[in-house]
Amino acid sequence: MPSQVPLWELRNVTKAFPGVVANDNVSVALFSGEIHGLLGENGSGKSTLIKIISGAHQPDSGTILKNGAPVGIPSPAAARAHGIATVFQEFSLVPTLTVAENICLGRLPLRHQHVDWDAMRKRAEQMLTRMHVKIDPAAVVASLSVAEQQLVEIAKALAADARMLILDEPTTALGLTEIAQLHSLLKRLKAAGTAVLYISHRLDEVVELVDVATIMKDGRIVCEAAETRIDIPFIVRRMIGEITEHFPKEETSRNEIVLDVSAIATQNRVHDVSFTVLRGEVLGLGGVLGSGRTEIARAVFGIDRLTAGEIRWKGKRVEFSSPEEAIRAGIAYVPENRKSDGLFFNLTGFPNMSIARLDKLGGRFSLSLRRETEEGQRLVEDLEISPAAETKTVDLLSGGNQQKIVIGRWLFAGAELFILDEPTQGIDIGAKVAIYKLINTLTRAGHSVILISSDHDELLAMSDRIAIIRHGRVEAVRHAREISKLDLVRASNANLEDVA
Amino acid sequence: MSSFLKEIAGPSAALLLVALLVALTTRNFLDPGNISNLILQVSIVAIIAIGSTMVILAGGIDLSPGSAIALMTMVFATLIKFYGWPLLPAIIAVLLLGLLLGLINGALTAYVRIPSFITTLAALSAFRGVAFMFNNGSPIFQLSPVLEQLFYSSVFGIPLPLFYVVICYGLAYWFLTYTAPGRAIYAVGGNANAARLSSINVERVQLIAFAIAGAAAGLGAILMSARLNSGSPNYGVGLELAAIAAAVIGGTSLAGGRGNVINTVIGAMTIVVVQNGLNLNAVPTSAQNVVIGAIIIIAVGIDMWRSELLGFFARRNK
Repeated sequence: MPSQVPLWELRNVTKAFPGVVANDNVSVALFSGEIHGLLGENGSGKSTLIKIISGAHQPDSGTILKNGAPVGIPSPAAARAHGIATVFQEFSLVPTLTVAENICLGRLPLRHQHVDWDAMRKRAEQMLTRMHVKIDPAAVVASLSVAEQQLVEIAKALAADARMLILDEPTTALGLTEIAQLHSLLKRLKAAGTAVLYISHRLDEVVELVDVATIMKDGRIVCEAAETRIDIPFIVRRMIGEITEHFPKEETSRNEIVLDVSAIATQNRVHDVSFTVLRGEVLGLGGVLGSGRTEIARAVFGIDRLTAGEIRWKGKRVEFSSPEEAIRAGIAYVPENRKSDGLFFNLTGFPNMSIARLDKLGGRFSLSLRRETEEGQRLVEDLEISPAAETKTVDLLSGGNQQKIVIGRWLFAGAELFILDEPTQGIDIGAKVAIYKLINTLTRAGHSVILISSDHDELLAMSDRIAIIRHGRVEAVRHAREISKLDLVRASNANLEDVA
Repeated sequence: MSSFLKEIAGPSAALLLVALLVALTTRNFLDPGNISNLILQVSIVAIIAIGSTMVILAGGIDLSPGSAIALMTMVFATLIKFYGWPLLPAIIAVLLLGLLLGLINGALTAYVRIPSFITTLAALSAFRGVAFMFNNGSPIFQLSPVLEQLFYSSVFGIPLPLFYVVICYGLAYWFLTYTAPGRAIYAVGGNANAARLSSINVERVQLIAFAIAGAAAGLGAILMSARLNSGSPNYGVGLELAAIAAAVIGGTSLAGGRGNVINTVIGAMTIVVVQNGLNLNAVPTSAQNVVIGAIIIIAVGIDMWRSELLGFFARRNK
């Protein structure tokens, strides 16, 4: 049971940056033995709040209290000394060191002024065992999967004997089993009296986990912990401040096969895969992380070469040996990782959208920048992208705008089939709805979509049909209406069990 | 257009400030003779820096042009002096040789996938080694009186090298701004993965950047030979670093993908004006080198801390 005096409390904290008040008179109380959700869209001020508690930012005004007594947190080191551990979205691991070294980094066990390697390995092993995670402490971090790295990141935070643990979007990279593992770990920590502050965009998992939740919008708290009802429609309404249909699905599927994939295989985990995509249809690819969904996309897009089977695109047999050929044919791939595979952070919005078909801006030696601007402005309007995209480099735009720019690139390129790999990962609810509407716009115009998503609700709501992928094979193709979330989750879980 | 002005505003202001300081502290800075001397001084490094900028924009680095120039001045001198080639074919041959040297760097980097730092470090050593194989390693003097005119003549009182610099930078700016390969250089330097997934042939783009750098070095070698009417395996030592410094002072990011080639010539002029100012004030060369080093740090520092500095002044003015 939570005690009466909060372990940590922020009172009337305000923090302004040039041009924006990121936190405006914010008060939050965090109790020992309680999992506290912090919710809000991107840019609502959550990150600033976390950075204040973890010592990375100093508030302009307001007080921070520990066990009821005012304290200062002048630096991240001071936060750690206070028993606050933060797992940020960006990994802070050193990829070339081992798991054990990373976990103990900054607190290396010493014997006679030298690193005590045995003690270090033991401490790491203890941490990982406590988390019920099977990772070799001697493995080099760079050799781990993203999900494993995320778990190591959490182990590292816990190794600091934290009394308060802050997690910023810890599950973005995790599969279902790992999420379950993480949640049971957090519940054990809670039972042991740790205070947890949990930030996530995936509301289904938030409502399963948290005891209380605070909702932020535009730098203010719009719903305090005491008033927040832990249910999704309530939270969505308060987060975006208006009642919006969460999944505005339109059915525009026509009876015309545009993509016919039959019995294809690649050396990259795709075996005997067959499916069709209709004009105006959204075909969902369901399954867990690593089941081969992305690899199927890579095969269709010409990144991985086929070793068997054939692909017919608009009735004609095609064999793409490079993305360039697929793009010319009208196929677009929006990769899972926008930052590393999608965007040019050094360029503004319009060059980001024209880059795949520069030939459309005139000849090889005379790009028409005027036409680029016209087309760019049209896309900004059609896709409701922030007008700042014209003048700002895209690293300064929100995740939702960035994703729209990547989709805009393929609209500009004249694509007819859009392969969207986790298109709403890490973007806020408002931007998600915008992406869903965009999917409708695409299909209404007669384009087709292959949607890869780990968000079951999204996949079920936005797909016309769903292909369940398992071990690089298509297990079944069903109409989305005929399949329940339970079926999908069960298929994924069964999948995981027989992997293990 | 306005974004172009915004991009060159910072480096231009810095150059004007430096020029103003020098003009105020010396008597002769604004003499026409001194100004045309400055132009002659800046021209060679400015032209080489075009290549350095292209390679850096594409996400690489080129350490070889200094040595490449030594090699090419020797080839140029040998062709003219010992084989009796007329000037024009010799010039064309050297430009083609520059292109070839750039293609070697580019092919090793793009297709053999050796990092450009290593490729061009090897070339830095090897090219100069080859330069010493000509004429038993001795310089070759007195090439041609006409050749000198290419560097020292003026038209309407304007030294010829100024025309070369203006034409080359005009071409470079046009290439980077208005052609598909130019845009692709920015894309590859910004995010090679994303470029590949957007149907850009990343390897070919890297090759193009190095080829341009090689051709620019070829032109630099011809100007160097013209200026000194000779070829020597000792020419061009440290020139690659001066060219990189010009690009960096002009705000080109060594991480690739960010920068404007016009700022590179502004950066090159800044260095030369500072050197000139120190010379006119009789500051010894040793101290001059220290000052150039400090300028590099300040220029990059201002660039990196720009947003913080702006925020600081915004708060101060509130």
